[in-house]
Amino acid sequence: MKIKFKIRRYNPVDTEASEPYIQAYMCEVPEGMTVLEALLKIADEQDPTLSFRKSCRSAICGSCAVSINGFSKLACNTQVIPEFKKAGEMLIEPLANHTPLKDLIVDFVPFWRKMEKVSPYLTPAEGESAPAVTPEDEERVDRSQRCIMCGCCNAECNSLAIDENFIAPAALAKAWRIVGDVREGNARRRLHRLSEEHGMWDCVRCVHCTQYCPKDVAPLKAIEELRSSAMKEGITDNPGAKHVEAMRDSVERFGRLDEAAMTFKTLGFLRSLGMIPFGLRMEKHGKLPRPHIFAQIEELDEVKKIYEESERRAKEEKRELASRKKGW
Amino acid sequence: MVIHDIVIIGGGLAGMRAAIEASRAGLDAAIVSKIYPVRSHSVAAQGGINAALKDTDSWENHAFDTVKGSDYLGDQDAIELLCKEAPFDIMELEKMGAIFSRDPEGRIAQRPFGGAGYPRTCYLADRTGHALLHVMYEQLVKHEVVLYDEWHVVKVVVEDGTARGVIALELSTGKLHRLHSKAVLIATGGYGRVFRTTTNALSSTGDGMGLALDAGAELMDMEFVQFHPTVLKRTGILMTEGCRGEGGYLLNSKGERFMSRYAPKVQELASRDVVSRAEQTEIEEGRGVDGCVLLDLRHLGADKINRKLPQIRSLAINFAGVDPVEKPIPVKPGAHYSMGGIRTDFDGATTVPGLYAAGECACVSVHGANRLGGNSLLEAIVFGRRAGIGVSNFSESNGLLPFPATALKEAAFEVADITKRDSGESPAALREEMAGVMEAHSGIFRDRTRLTDGLRKLRDIRERFKGVALTDRGDYYNNELLQVIELAQMLKISEAILLGAVEREESRGSHFRTDFPLRNDKDWMKHTLVSLKDGEMKLGYKAVTVTKFQPQERKY
Amino acid sequence: MVEVELRYAYYPGCASQEMTKEANETTRLVCQRLGIALHDMPKANCCGAGLLTDYDYQLYLALNARIFAEAEAMEMDIMTICSTCLMVMSTANRDLKADPKLLEKTNEILSTAGLRYNGTINVKQLLWVLAGDYGLDNLKKKVVKPLNWIKAAPFYGCHSLRPSDALGFDDPEKPWSLDAVIAALGGEAVQYKGKTKCCGFQVDLVAPETAEKMTAVRLLDGKEKGANAFVTPCPFCHINLDNYQGLAEKRVSQKISMPVFHLSQLVGLALGLTAEEMGLSRHLVSPEKILK
Repeated sequence: MKIKFKIRRYNPVDTEASEPYIQAYMCEVPEGMTVLEALLKIADEQDPTLSFRKSCRSAICGSCAVSINGFSKLACNTQVIPEFKKAGEMLIEPLANHTPLKDLIVDFVPFWRKMEKVSPYLTPAEGESAPAVTPEDEERVDRSQRCIMCGCCNAECNSLAIDENFIAPAALAKAWRIVGDVREGNARRRLHRLSEEHGMWDCVRCVHCTQYCPKDVAPLKAIEELRSSAMKEGITDNPGAKHVEAMRDSVERFGRLDEAAMTFKTLGFLRSLGMIPFGLRMEKHGKLPRPHIFAQIEELDEVKKIYEESERRAKEEKRELASRKKGW
Repeated sequence: MVIHDIVIIGGGLAGMRAAIEASRAGLDAAIVSKIYPVRSHSVAAQGGINAALKDTDSWENHAFDTVKGSDYLGDQDAIELLCKEAPFDIMELEKMGAIFSRDPEGRIAQRPFGGAGYPRTCYLADRTGHALLHVMYEQLVKHEVVLYDEWHVVKVVVEDGTARGVIALELSTGKLHRLHSKAVLIATGGYGRVFRTTTNALSSTGDGMGLALDAGAELMDMEFVQFHPTVLKRTGILMTEGCRGEGGYLLNSKGERFMSRYAPKVQELASRDVVSRAEQTEIEEGRGVDGCVLLDLRHLGADKINRKLPQIRSLAINFAGVDPVEKPIPVKPGAHYSMGGIRTDFDGATTVPGLYAAGECACVSVHGANRLGGNSLLEAIVFGRRAGIGVSNFSESNGLLPFPATALKEAAFEVADITKRDSGESPAALREEMAGVMEAHSGIFRDRTRLTDGLRKLRDIRERFKGVALTDRGDYYNNELLQVIELAQMLKISEAILLGAVEREESRGSHFRTDFPLRNDKDWMKHTLVSLKDGEMKLGYKAVTVTKFQPQERKY
Repeated sequence: MVEVELRYAYYPGCASQEMTKEANETTRLVCQRLGIALHDMPKANCCGAGLLTDYDYQLYLALNARIFAEAEAMEMDIMTICSTCLMVMSTANRDLKADPKLLEKTNEILSTAGLRYNGTINVKQLLWVLAGDYGLDNLKKKVVKPLNWIKAAPFYGCHSLRPSDALGFDDPEKPWSLDAVIAALGGEAVQYKGKTKCCGFQVDLVAPETAEKMTAVRLLDGKEKGANAFVTPCPFCHINLDNYQGLAEKRVSQKISMPVFHLSQLVGLALGLTAEEMGLSRHLVSPEKILK
C-alpha cells in the first residue's frame, strides 16, 4: 500500500529554508513495515538528507523516539499500516518538549542533564555489606529498570512542557530504580533532594508518561513510590507532602476531602492569607470551600479500621526492611 | 585540540568498562562514540552472561565448554582467564548496581545455554545486555567520564609506530577534531551490517576493525562469523538462545524436533554453529516453512514466557505478528557475532604500541571458531576491564608524544574527497549490494567457488565505491557522509572475511566449507591474521595455544 | 422502542459535593430527565484523588475496595462525574482484578472492618454513560433546545483517557466521546491540540506557577481555534479552567474570559432546563453572553 509520509523537516543552517516545514514522501509500505523501516527506505531511495536517530531497530536502544501523528513513540516499534488506518494520516515530527536540531533529531542534552541530576547510580551504605537481594526486592524495581531512555515520557510530560526545570518522569523512574533498591545507602538523602522545587512533587499526574512509555516502565508508578517512600521517611516539610498529609487526615476524619483544610495545611498560614482576595471572589459565587464540621460519611469507623490496619502493616514492613538492612 | 590520557572509541559495555577502570586509576579517559553510550548494541544482548558460580560447577568446566564450543580454535590460556575471572566480574556488576534474576532462595539464578554442560548463564529476564549497559552508564556518570557522543572517529593517528590519538568528525557540525592522547582503545563492537540478515544494530558497522587495520594493527580469524539460529525472518531481530535455554523447541514443516537428528544428546541446546547449519539444511532440503523453521515456546505456558521471556513475547508480537503463547515463531539463522577481530593480548594491547582493543571488535581469542551464548557479555566485561587496566598502565608509563601536524589536514582532505564529488553511485545502493554479496557468498555453507566469486564481486564494489557521491551537501548532521565513512570500513572487513575464508580449507565452528567438510587439526590449528600493506591485504597465520584440552571430535 | 433501564451506584466525588456543587446537582437533574437512575452511596469514602496513592498504595487500594464493596452490595456498577475519581478507582480496580494475591491482601485489611470486595464492579463516568450505555441516538432524541450557539472546546483532560489499560472506554489518541456528545446536543466541537492534556489541578497548591500557566495554555489554545466555551466532564478540570481562570490570566498577563461548562450543564440546557437550574451563576466566568 502506498502511503504519504508527512515529515517535519528542519535545518537551521539551510540558508534557503531555515524554518521548519512539512515535506511529503510517498512510500510503498508492505504489511508489517515499521515507521523506522519506512524512514530508512525514504532516506535510502528518495532523500538521503533526511536526518533521524536510529540504531537497534528492536525497541531496546531508545534512539528512534519521534512524534507519530502527535504522540511520542518508537519509530521501530510502530507498524505503519495500523497506525495509518487509525490516525488517517502519517505525520512524523520530532519529539515534543525537546529542542529540534535537524529534522527529527532533537537536543537530548537536557535529558541527560536531568538524568545526571538524580545521581543515577547505586551508593551502598559505607562499611556495611549489602543485604541479599530477594526476588521481591528485584520485583520492586523491575519496571523502573526496563527504561531505555528514549525520552517518550518526557516528551509527553505536561508538567515539563510548562516548566523546563522540572526533573521529569525519565529521571524520576531512574531515581526510583536506585531509591527502591534494597542495597541503596542514601535513599533518605536522595528523597530529600527529590522533594525540592521542580522535583517529584511537581508532577501533575497527567498519566502521559505511563501511557506512552514503550517499555511499560510506568514512570508515574515510580513517582508514586518515591513520594510514598518520602512520606514514610518523614520527609514532609514541603507543600507536596503536606498536601498528601492533609488528604490523609481529612479522609481519616471525615471519610472525604476537606478542601479548606487542605489549602490551609498545604500552604501554611501565611500563604493561605495570600489567597484571601481571590477567596473573596470565589465566595461571591458560593465557591469558597468551608472547613467541614458536617456531613461525614456513614460507617466512618470502617474507614478508621482500614487506616489502622494499613498503617500497622506499613510499619511492620518498614521495620522488616530496616532490620534486613541492619542484619547484613 | 583536546588532550586526554586515553581516548576510548565506542561507548558499549567494553568501552565503558575500560573507561571506568581508567577513571579508577585516576586517569583522564574520554569516550568518543557515534551514538550515545546507552544506545550501543550491547543493549540488545538478551540471554545472559556465563560464570561458574556454584560449588557443583567450576571454571574448568566453563573453560572446557568454551574450548569445545570454539572448535578448539580458542586460545586456551585466554579462555582460562575469562572463565576464572568471570565470577569476580559478576559480583562486581552486582556491586555496581545490577540485579540479576534470582532463584527462589534469593541466589543469582542461572539458566542452561547452548553448548554448556551446566546451567551457568546469569541473566536479567531477557534483557541482560540492557541491564548491564545501563549499570555501566550509571558508573560512567558516577566517574564523570568525558563523553564525545555523536562524534565519529575517522582515523587513529599513528606516528613512528605508536598511537597518538584520533581524528573525529563531530556529526552535529561536520567539523573534524583532533583528540590527542597517550593511548587509544578501540571498543566499537561488531560488523553485523556487512550482512543483509543480521541481528545487529544499524550502527554495527565494524568501524573500529577498519580503523585498526588502517593504523597498522592485525585482524585475526575474520572468517569466523557466527550465525545465530533464531532470528526473525524479515528484520533479523534476535530471539534469544534463552528461548531454547528455557525449554523451547525447534520444529520443521513436519512438526519434527529435527535437532534430534543433528545433536541427539542436547538437541536444541547444541552450540550455535551446529544449530544454524541444521536449520539451513532443513530449509534447503524442503522441510522449512516459508524459508524458516519454527521456534515453539507454547508448551512453556504464558506465565513462564511472561516472567522469563517478556521482551521476546513483545518482539514476536510487534515484529513478526506472532504471539508465542499461541503460535510458534518463524525463525532462521542470521549474522550475529564476530568471533574474529583486532588481535590483542590478554590486556587488550594490539601489535601497535599505544593501541588497545576490547569487546567484540577484538580477538583475544576466547571464542575461536564459534562463540558460546553468554560468553560475549562476559568477554566485554572481563576484557573491557583488563584492557582498561592495560591501557591505563601504558599511558601511565608513557608520556604524551607529539601529535603529527599534518594529520588533521590529511583527514580533512580524505573527507573532502568524498563530499566534493559531483555525481556518482548512491552509497546506500552500494551498501545493499555489498550486504547481498556477503549473504550469498559468505554465509553458513561456503566453498571455494562461492567465496572467490564473492571476493571478485566485492572488489568490484570496492572500486566503484571510489566514485560514490553524496546527495546531502551539508555539514550539519550529514548522515549520508557518516554512511559513506562506515561503508569504507565495511568493505575492508568484508574483504578480510572472504580472504580468510577462501584460504581456510577445512570446516571448523562457524566456518563450514562444503568442499572441505571436516576439521583439519593437522594443518589448521592456527589463527588467520590479516594486515594492510600499501593498501593491500596480506594474510598470515599464528598457532593456537593449547593448554589443558587436546582437540577431540566435537559432538553434542 | 424498548427503553433500557439504566441504574448506577452514584459516586459524585468530593469536589462535586462542595466546590462544584452545581456539577452534582445538575447531573442528578439531567439523569432524572433521561431516566437514568442514580442510587446514592451514603457510606462511600473519598477515593484519595491520587494523593492517597502517594501516601500508601495498600491503604489506597483498601479504601477504594471499600467503595466497590458498597456498590457490590447494591449490585450496581459505579457512575461518577469526576475524571480523577474515575481514574483513581479504575486503576485500583484494575490492579485488584489482575492480581488475586493483591485482592486477597486487600481483603484482609477490609476484613478488619467486616468488609469484602469480590472484584465484580465496573466504574464509569457520566460521559461514558451518555456516549455508551445510554447512547448518542437516544440522547439526540431528548434534545429540545439544540445548542446551535456553542462552539465548544471539548476538554477531556487526563483522567477520563489515561491510563487506557485501566479505563478502556475512549481512545486517548483519538478521543471521540465528548465530541460526539456535543454534536448530539446540536453543538459544534472545536478541534485543538490541548483537548487531551492536563488542566494542572494536581499541583494548584504545590506548584501554582506550573498549574496556572498550564490552565492558561489550555484555554488560550481552544480560544485560538475559535471556541466560545469549554466543556469538561471533570469537576477538577472545571475548578482550574473556571475558578482559577483569573489566576491563570494574571500569570500570563492576558485576558481570556472563557466560559466553562460542566458536561451535565450542557446536556441540561439542550434538554430545555434553564440557566438557573443549571447553576450557571456559580461560575466565575459568566457564560451569560453566549447563552441563547
